[in-house]
Amino acid sequence: MVVYLLCLVMFCLGIYCVVRKRNVIKLIIGVIILEYAVNLFFILVAYRKDGRAPIFAADQTVTNMVDPLPQALVLTSIVIGLAVTALLVGIAMRIYEKYGTFDITKIKELKG
Amino acid sequence: MSREHEKGMSLIVKTITRLTVGIIFLYGIYIVLHGHVTPGGGFAGGVIIALSFIHLMLAYGRQEAFKRLSRAAASVFESFGAIMFLGIALLGFVGGYFFLNFLPKGEPFRLFSAGIIPLCNIAICFKVGAGIFAIFVALVLLKLDLGKK
Repeated sequence: MVVYLLCLVMFCLGIYCVVRKRNVIKLIIGVIILEYAVNLFFILVAYRKDGRAPIFAADQTVTNMVDPLPQALVLTSIVIGLAVTALLVGIAMRIYEKYGTFDITKIKELKG
Repeated sequence: MSREHEKGMSLIVKTITRLTVGIIFLYGIYIVLHGHVTPGGGFAGGVIIALSFIHLMLAYGRQEAFKRLSRAAASVFESFGAIMFLGIALLGFVGGYFFLNFLPKGEPFRLFSAGIIPLCNIAICFKVGAGIFAIFVALVLLKLDLGKK
């Protein structure tokens, strides 16, 4: 149960980073922390006590495996997270090109 | 990649890169081809293959990496991966339905087994490797255009 609460703490840290920080790069890092907290939660939910990796090898019995379905979902989620991060970094670079700053409080005025 | 790294890094980095980049590339191919019997698969192997090209670009500069894999070639490989995956899935209609495993299954836990799954892994490897290299190139070129102003 404690590990789930630690996941929640990590999620809250990500929320804090997204809401409170003013630098765009720090905002992106906050989004990444959010993603990883959710991924970690899924992997922990799938864990069984004394389970082994869900890989079917030649001479192994099929007892006590951890749940493979959330692992497959998290793999897809990591791929999507990579694409989202690349998009966010591209947008941040465009913002810097247009306004010359990463501070979100200084880009409120519409310029050229 | 900043301006002084336009022509690549120092001699030490270049030498180590020349020694290791082929091994990294081969390891990526190994991960892809054994994707159906060991952990790994198309995505992980594709990322490792893309990282070998990114390694080359960081150490030797843009021109050397574009000589090995140009931007047009990366685009072609990415589209080829998607079309190959779709083609494998559509070939299932030969036997009846979408994604039918029409090849012989073979013996489990051997390299040549599991029907179409190794072919799907290779298609995903093309798509992911070229895609991640293209993302990196896009970000680097965006920054270089920025520096010109």
